[in-house]
Amino acid sequence: MVKILFINPVIREEDNPKHIPYGIALLAAIAINDGHQVQVYDANAWRKGDEVLEQVCAADDWDIIAIGGLTTAFGYIKKACKIVRRINPQTFILAGGGFLTSMPREIMDWMPEIDLGVVGEAFVTFPVVLRMFDEHKLIKIPLDFQKTLGIIYRKSNGTPVLNGVRPNIPNLDALPWPAWELFPLDIYFANSKLLFSEESFTSKRRLDVNGSLGCNLICRYCWHLGTTGDMVIEENEDGINDVRFTYGRNIRYHSPDYIVNMVQYLRDTYDIDFISFIDENMMTMDAYSKRTWIFDLCEAWIAAGLQPTCRSKGIPHDDSCKGVHWGGTSHATLHRKESLEHMFKAGCSQLVYGLESFDRDILKTLGKGSTREKNINSVAICQSAGINPIPNIIIGFPEETFESIRNTITALLELGIHAKPHFATAYPGSEWYYDYKDSIIEQYKGNLEAYIADLGDATKITATISHRFSAMELLGLQKIVELRDLRLLELTQIHWNEADQFMKPLATPKTSFNMVKKKIQAPLAKVVG
Amino acid sequence: MEEKNVLKGNFETKKKVILEENPQDNLTNSQQIAKDLKETVLQALGGSMVYVERTNLSWDGNSDKKGE
Ligand code: SF4
Repeated sequence: MVKILFINPVIREEDNPKHIPYGIALLAAIAINDGHQVQVYDANAWRKGDEVLEQVCAADDWDIIAIGGLTTAFGYIKKACKIVRRINPQTFILAGGGFLTSMPREIMDWMPEIDLGVVGEAFVTFPVVLRMFDEHKLIKIPLDFQKTLGIIYRKSNGTPVLNGVRPNIPNLDALPWPAWELFPLDIYFANSKLLFSEESFTSKRRLDVNGSLGCNLICRYCWHLGTTGDMVIEENEDGINDVRFTYGRNIRYHSPDYIVNMVQYLRDTYDIDFISFIDENMMTMDAYSKRTWIFDLCEAWIAAGLQPTCRSKGIPHDDSCKGVHWGGTSHATLHRKESLEHMFKAGCSQLVYGLESFDRDILKTLGKGSTREKNINSVAICQSAGINPIPNIIIGFPEETFESIRNTITALLELGIHAKPHFATAYPGSEWYYDYKDSIIEQYKGNLEAYIADLGDATKITATISHRFSAMELLGLQKIVELRDLRLLELTQIHWNEADQFMKPLATPKTSFNMVKKKIQAPLAKVVG
Repeated sequence: MEEKNVLKGNFETKKKVILEENPQDNLTNSQQIAKDLKETVLQALGGSMVYVERTNLSWDGNSDKKGE
């Protein structure tokens, strides 16, 4: 058996830790089921300094120290890998997750401490690597990663080699439940409140559940990083394997029974009162399942006795309410009144809608398939079902203009929405990242790594991808949208129009090997992993 | 008081990593007031409201010679 330490990196230091790392918790459960020795250090929950991390590294003779997360955790992961290598010179360092999958070659160059990276879905690759370690330890077979799918490893001279893509697993129900017990749950429970609805704001014990993987849509700022069947690995123009992201999709979801059994267990074990579904887009699953998945999930939720009493009795929610409320993600064109009403009945209190903009032309460029009318109606439809819509608003799109900002502000006024918009940010793995990579590198004076390290929160401005607006203008426009002040917008536009003749485009798109704007489907395994 | 081992797993590690007392958990009254003030002010920042970190204040411009 292999002795593994998982490190959950610190993210968004300015915010409290609110979400157990679902991927790490799943991989820990898979490793335990396979008979390995597992420990977790949740640096994000504990928020202790480097000294504690050093003690953790020295607490045992680890065979493998595994670390991973999204790009937003890049800074901590980089620092932690240096500490791990200093304290544990012989330990194998394994990395995975979005930060690595989006750019495996660059990450291996920037972090020489990483011995091996799991690229894309890790549910099968990770236990395969652990088995290889086990055999290596037990019968002294040399480690040879040449044929292992879904990894980037180092040759003896340190050069990274990216192997072929690992097929996605077809059946998500084959996965064990995440190993919640290995995380400091009290810290997470203390941060249960979410400012999204009365029910989530009064939650005392909230946990996350991921019901599905994938989304049918192709929003140009969104990334999926292999888990949605979007990633293939092919030789680039230099004859070296590299990742390519595509419009391919493998849509997969857990059965309602799997989800409801899990939530029942969480209620019975931890007395939880709220579940956040962290699915990318629950409504895509509803549409893909021909409108059965959400309906069956809600029915099973109610049949299992998880329905909150405020919903079963039709009374206002208060502290005496029993049952489990929940929230998730929706989509302006994919939701239906019938599904929403059913969701409300089962205890759904809020749904996040990535509306992004209320401008016709901007919406046409997003790949989201929504329109101004549908965006506007979605808020009313969701509200009329009794569910709180949480609209996400973004400014700074490539084609953003004063007119498009005006259209967004008028809709915000009409709908009574107050929003401090995020900035359109090109996260690695998104179409726009590859389209604007050259402009980004230019804005960071040739230092791509500095950009990646800067990506923590989209409310912060990093590199702009807007063709016309600079960071200065976008920061001002963010404030104007927040204030919903059309007078200020008009004044700014008058001033800007005079300068417009002297402006040259700030960001210009180009094509890239890493992004194929076609439906190239990643393989799906035939046998359950 | 409950022992706080920051490591959780399915076996006993050779060494435990027990948390040392965190000064954040034991702020003196005045430290607590300063912390609360900073948090509240930062939330309300805007207009004539400013907040200056006591510890991070630095000045690297030329000093004004007048009055010396
Ligand atoms: S709908 Fe949401 S999850 Fe789907 S591609 Fe767009 S942003 Fe991503």
